[in-house]
Amino acid sequence: MLNVIDYVPGDTLLHRLNPVTKLALAAAIIAATFLANTYAALVGLLVLTLLLAAYAGVFGRLARLLKLLVPIALIMLVLQLVFVRGGDTLFSFVTDEGLITGGKACLRLLGVALLLVLMLMVTKLTDLANACVEKLHIPYKYAFTFTTALRFVPVFSQEMNAIMEAQTARGVQYDTKNPFKKMQLMLPLCVPLLISSVSKTDATALAAEQRGFYLRTRASSYRRYPFAARDIVVFALCVALIVGGIVL
Amino acid sequence: MAAIIEMDGVSFSYGAEAEHALDDVSLRVNEGDFVGIIGPSGAGKSTLAACLSGAIPHHFTGELFGSTLIAGKDTCDVTLTDISRLVGSVAQDIDAQMVASVVEDELLFGLENFGVPHDQIEDRIARTLATVGIADLREREIATLSGGQKQKVAIAAILALEPRVLVLDEPTAALDPVSSRVVFETLADVNRRLGVTVIVIEQKVALLSSFCSRVVVMDHGRIALSGTPHEVFGHSDRLRAIGVDSPRTARISNSLVGDGLVAQAAPCLNVDEAHALIRSVLAGVPGVTQAAADDPEPSPHIPTRPHAQGADPILTFRQVGFTYPSGGASVTDLDITVYPGELVGIVGQNGAGKTTLTKLLNGLLKPTRGKVRVAGLDTRETPVSTVAAHVATLFQNPDRQICKNTVLDEVAFGLELTGVDPAAARERARRVIKRFGLPAGEAPFSLSRGQRQMVALAGVVVMEPDIVVLDEPTSGLDYRECMTVMETVRDMADHGSAVIMVCHDMEVVSDFAERIVVMADGRILGRGPAADLFANTALMEAASVTPPQVIDLSVRLARDVSPAFAHITEVSDIVRTVKELMGRA
Repeated sequence: MLNVIDYVPGDTLLHRLNPVTKLALAAAIIAATFLANTYAALVGLLVLTLLLAAYAGVFGRLARLLKLLVPIALIMLVLQLVFVRGGDTLFSFVTDEGLITGGKACLRLLGVALLLVLMLMVTKLTDLANACVEKLHIPYKYAFTFTTALRFVPVFSQEMNAIMEAQTARGVQYDTKNPFKKMQLMLPLCVPLLISSVSKTDATALAAEQRGFYLRTRASSYRRYPFAARDIVVFALCVALIVGGIVL
Repeated sequence: MAAIIEMDGVSFSYGAEAEHALDDVSLRVNEGDFVGIIGPSGAGKSTLAACLSGAIPHHFTGELFGSTLIAGKDTCDVTLTDISRLVGSVAQDIDAQMVASVVEDELLFGLENFGVPHDQIEDRIARTLATVGIADLREREIATLSGGQKQKVAIAAILALEPRVLVLDEPTAALDPVSSRVVFETLADVNRRLGVTVIVIEQKVALLSSFCSRVVVMDHGRIALSGTPHEVFGHSDRLRAIGVDSPRTARISNSLVGDGLVAQAAPCLNVDEAHALIRSVLAGVPGVTQAAADDPEPSPHIPTRPHAQGADPILTFRQVGFTYPSGGASVTDLDITVYPGELVGIVGQNGAGKTTLTKLLNGLLKPTRGKVRVAGLDTRETPVSTVAAHVATLFQNPDRQICKNTVLDEVAFGLELTGVDPAAARERARRVIKRFGLPAGEAPFSLSRGQRQMVALAGVVVMEPDIVVLDEPTSGLDYRECMTVMETVRDMADHGSAVIMVCHDMEVVSDFAERIVVMADGRILGRGPAADLFANTALMEAASVTPPQVIDLSVRLARDVSPAFAHITEVSDIVRTVKELMGRA
């Protein structure tokens, strides 16, 4: 559960696409998700994402993420129902307009989150960073910051787990059923976590500099990321998706 | 040979007000040396390493005096990047040093940055991986590697850049004895074959003495001793005053020299040398081999504690098994019984299931099979927070335990959690803090690593628990701090707490635990009195545990020289036995 965004090795077309192409594909699907305004289109895009995941062999992992996301989506739905007041009242505080916009918001949330995670699962972070530097001319500094931040997510969550274990062993009642009490108990743990994060980040910066970070240029990368015919095809598909999103 | 590093009168403090972390240090390292740096915590070892790697003055700010020349260039005049071309450094925190998620990319990072021509890169990567012995790990995800493997990847990533000097800050702190040795063998190989100068900060004296060509002892920011391992470890008394351990065999030979029994001046650095020395001393004594016909009496130094007499066991494991849901190390058929007042050591390699055992004990994990009973409570039916009132755990990393703003709050916190009235909790906490000599009003995070461990220990002591669990209590501590921790724990055992200790340092285990449990692959291979089990060579090999030097020596002496050496576990008893055998002749 911790490492949902870890790279899953594979040799599918999706794995072999240029990282920049994958980024474009993700951007196109996200754009279409926001442009499309019918349930059919939104569900279709979500199904497309899930099909891609099944093709790349990461459906199981994505499904586990879905379990986490569905409750969040439901909370959003309830909020929308409460705050969208237009349209006819269906029952108690629920209006038809609220139900429609809320449902769409949920689908959009799921579509965007699943897609971004799917893309990270089929792309090595190093490749993503290098390809963005080479093709999109993004300064390496930003690419490195982004990949390091993502790489630190599991590191910090492990650290948090270890801290929680230590505190539980001391008798802090994390096994309480009350979520508010649990939240209240967890807040003080931010101090140890923050302290270890800051020192880790500093150590990383020093280690990177000692390995020539500031010498790196666009031409440094050993691997090259040329566009192939399949990338061109996918780019065409991206345009089609966006147009489709506007039309539907 | 030419000097690659010349430090001349270097002083450094981390701020105008702060004390000097380095105080007038002059050090010359020749190209091709293998230098070990040792000293108590706060002696300035890491600061010294930072000066050598250029992190001082380029990364850390403070006041610097004197000059550090690397290959003839002053570190203040060249950029950190240029220093890095000559000096590769491996940081203490390996996870923080990694920049990639796959081993190959980790090596590529530096090679790409320093502009190594792309047609040479493949060759460099293949060669470096082979040198370090991890060619098979090339495609692996770094997150899936063991601690020892990660350490080797970190070394390879630096070595691929072909530095002339390699600086490492406690590379074996988180490793078991076998992996630690492998890391040092790798370093020695790099040093010998590639001629790379190696400078390593290390607390494990046995490693330093068998691999380094030169040992530097630091104390209060100064260099206290420097020389070959034989020269340095000849000063056991001086080292002990500084707070640095020396190999037990060196203590034996130094005592023999001190008592006038041996003329040889160089100390013995390992069991082989000590064995040869004692053998040669006793070779001239007639009748030694028969002399020990009278049964060797048990060593008088082993404390016999009044435990287990009519008392009920405080902890029982019955046929306990546990498997992690995600796979990975599992344990099976654990049977353990511990009585109040006992000190039990758990030994075994990394991955043997020791940590799983401690988590089963304090209730963090619930057994999948069998029963764990702690102070009469079944851990499967009891919330962890209730078990916590009976079991106090001292974790390896105190920073995960500490979460309050003052030392007093921190120490009292555990008591308050178990429902002790806050005023009474504070009173008890104050007493313990006073005994440890800690600053009650300070923020724990402003203290040194060793002192933070003491704060965590105070938090354990104040609980007056039935059971104390120690997970690697000595890692990251210097010799003196380590002894303080262990003596405190022994004191708790004397007052009736049962102590379960997981520890890689076999010398510490043999000094303090009267019983040990030997584990391998999630099973218990043997249990019983520490001295007997450590003397069981077959068992130790099966568990990949290196027995403590004194026991190893006494087993071999009992076999080859005289049965009088059997069952000896302490330095003083070896010396006494040699004296008696010589006196008899």
